[in-house]
Parts: sequence; structure tokens; C-alpha cells
Amino acid sequence: MASAIEAAINLGVPLLLLAVAYFTGRRVERQHYASIRARESELRMLPAVTFRQIPSAWAVDGLGVVSGSCVVSVDYFKRFLAGLRTFVGGRVTSYETLLDRARREAILRCKEDARRRGFQAVVNLRIETTRVTRASNNSRATAGVEVLAFGTGLELRRDPR
Amino acid sequence: MEYDPKLPADGINTTDENPLREFALLIAGLVGVAIALIAIAALAVDRLVPLVPPSLEARWFGGIAEAIAAEDPRSAPVQALVDRLVAHWDDAPYPFHVGVLDGEPDPNALALPGGAILVTSGLLEQVGSENELAQVLGHELGHFRDRDHLRGLGRGLAAQLVLGAIGGSGELVSGLSAFAGALAQRGFDRRQERQADAFGLALVQAEYGHVAGAGDFFARLAPSDHEVPAAGRRLARYLETHPSHEDRISALAAEAKANGWPTAGPLTPWVAPSTE
Repeated sequence: MASAIEAAINLGVPLLLLAVAYFTGRRVERQHYASIRARESELRMLPAVTFRQIPSAWAVDGLGVVSGSCVVSVDYFKRFLAGLRTFVGGRVTSYETLLDRARREAILRCKEDARRRGFQAVVNLRIETTRVTRASNNSRATAGVEVLAFGTGLELRRDPR
Repeated sequence: MEYDPKLPADGINTTDENPLREFALLIAGLVGVAIALIAIAALAVDRLVPLVPPSLEARWFGGIAEAIAAEDPRSAPVQALVDRLVAHWDDAPYPFHVGVLDGEPDPNALALPGGAILVTSGLLEQVGSENELAQVLGHELGHFRDRDHLRGLGRGLAAQLVLGAIGGSGELVSGLSAFAGALAQRGFDRRQERQADAFGLALVQAEYGHVAGAGDFFARLAPSDHEVPAAGRRLARYLETHPSHEDRISALAAEAKANGWPTAGPLTPWVAPSTE
């Protein structure tokens, strides 16, 4: 009987943690996506493209490196789900949203940097991803990534003629 | 040309599927695999245990059993009783040694590999008659006859191996698997306990010529069951390794009736041995 109660506690605590992490994680993610979509819409007139060369037709008055970075962590629930997934293989869907959010957020911040400094476009946009915390095997560590977006901000003359 | 930028599309790099679905599927699958592995290991142990000759078991564990028995002087009268009971068991595999678990107030007894029977000091203090103690000891001897002590050891080891192998996935999966495995194990356990009870009763009958007092031990423990509400009691019964006390008393009575053993007769008094 005592061992059954012990087992129930051993199971109950992680289950409770998972439930809390599931609800908070979903809420945080929903809010983040709402914010990402709103700002993408707001910054849509400032293009960020991967051209390596400035088109000859563009009249450039000024330029500079612009960058934006974002560090995101998954919640306990998503990390647990990813851990289960490693047994059978397949799409680690719980990490996909993490990286999707981080990438879009970093590009948004890069564009934000460009807008504040008076650039009208970003060219040669590059994206780098770095793991910032160790997630392997150590259950205490969190799975967090930094995504850095950088490129060349251009100040364009409105009317070249 | 009007500049008309497109917004990033959603749902290409991510999925809208509820992660709880994936969670339930993966947990159910992994726990199912773990239970299947544990069940296979338990079956393998059940097949292997009869192949271990008692002589080999005595050689491996007999020394430990003797050492345990030598520790406490209170074991002497219990040892004498065990020897009298074993005299009625023609093909007893090896000598048995009784040890006392000191400072253990709960009345209980265990069968360990190599013929060691451990009784708690609480048992020695609380039994009301020698007949009652004989049934408890006979029950443990029944475990030796069915080799349940080796089965328990082997199953425990096998379950640990399986759980250790999948333990990398975190405490929840191994915890769930251990819990489900333990529940599944209970059915086997209770059947073994019934068989051991019946064997103990046969020894009591052979020794005293009647089975009076044999069920007293369970009757002594039974009242505590009634303090629990009915639903809780049902759950507790499912989690319990042993059958309920009432069930065991009625099973003993039925066994005595089936064999025509008298259920009344003079009880032999038991004097709890002292440490000096």
C-alpha cells in the first residue's frame, strides 16, 4: 500500500508539472504568435531580402549592418514530448514551433533595427542559429536557442530623378 | 509598379495538431512496450526458476541464511517449530534457518533464497498461540515449495533491467511503467499467497491433528480493514500484494472443510521469547 502511494506521488508530481507547463507554454506561444503576426504586418513595407548585390537601379544614399537576435526556450512539456519522440523518431513538432518563432522574431527585430536607423530595405539577410543551453540528457537544463538575423540596411533615395 | 509584399505563411514549418494527441500516443506506446517487455521477462523467469536446482540455491544462498539465523537468540524456539513442521514435508529441498528482524513492530514473515525465514519481532510478540505462528511459518514454507522467493527476486531483477533500459526517457515513463507493471503483478502474487496458505494449513493439520487457530493471525489483522470506506477498500485490495484477510480466512476454512480437517481442538500456548 505504502509503495502504491509512493508511486502515485512519484507520478503525480511530474504529471502536475507537465500540465502546468502545457497550459502556460501554450498561452505564451499563442501570445507570441499573435505579436509576431501583428508586427510582420506592420513592417511589411520594409523588405528584408537575401540579395547579395544591390540592384544597379537602386540609388543608395547610405548603408550599414543591421541585426536582430532572439533567445527562446521551450517549456517542460515540449521538452518532455521531444524526449519521447527521440525513441521512435519522426518530426519533432514540439521544437518546430520554437524555431519558427525564433526565426521570425529575429527577422522582425532586424527589420526594427533597420527602421529605427532610417533604412528602407535590408539586403543580404542571413540567419544563424546557436544553442545557448545544454539540453542533452541533463533534465535540469532547458532547451533554448538563439537565432541571429543580420543583413545590410540600405537608405534609398525616394525619387532618383 | 506598386510594391505589394506578401506576409510569411503560417503552418508550413509548424503544425496545428494538438500536442496532447502526440503526447498520449507516445506515452501509451512506450508504456505498452515496457509492460510487454516486463511481462515477457516475468514469463521467462517463471520458466527458468524451476530449472534452478535447490542444491544450487542452497550452495549460493545457504551461507547467508545460516548467518542471519545465528544473530538473534529469539530465533531458537521458532527454529524448533519450523523443524517440527518440516518433518511433515517429505521432499523438503534444504534445511531452513529462522532469523529475527528486530525492532519491527508489524507482524510479518519473509522467505529469502537459500532457506532463510525472517520473522519480525512484532510477530513473535503478538501471536496468541503456537498454532497461529505455525500457520504463518507454514505459509512461508509454502513459498519455498513453489519457489516463489526466487520468482520474486528474478522478476524484480528483470523489471529493473527493463526499466533501466528505458529510464533515459525520464522518470515519468519509467514511473508509469513500473506502476502498471506492479499492478499487473498483483494477480500472480495473490494466487501464490493462496497456494502458500493452503500448504501452511496442511502442515498445521499434520502437526496438531486439527487446524484450530490457523486463521487467528488474519483475524488479528482484519479489523483495520473496516476503518476504510468501501470504495477505498476495493482500491486497496487491488493494490495489495496479498489477498484480503477475510478472503484468506474463508479460503482457509473452505480448505479445511474440503479435506475434512477438524477446525476445533486444543491450542498450544506460545510464550514470546526474550532477548536474554
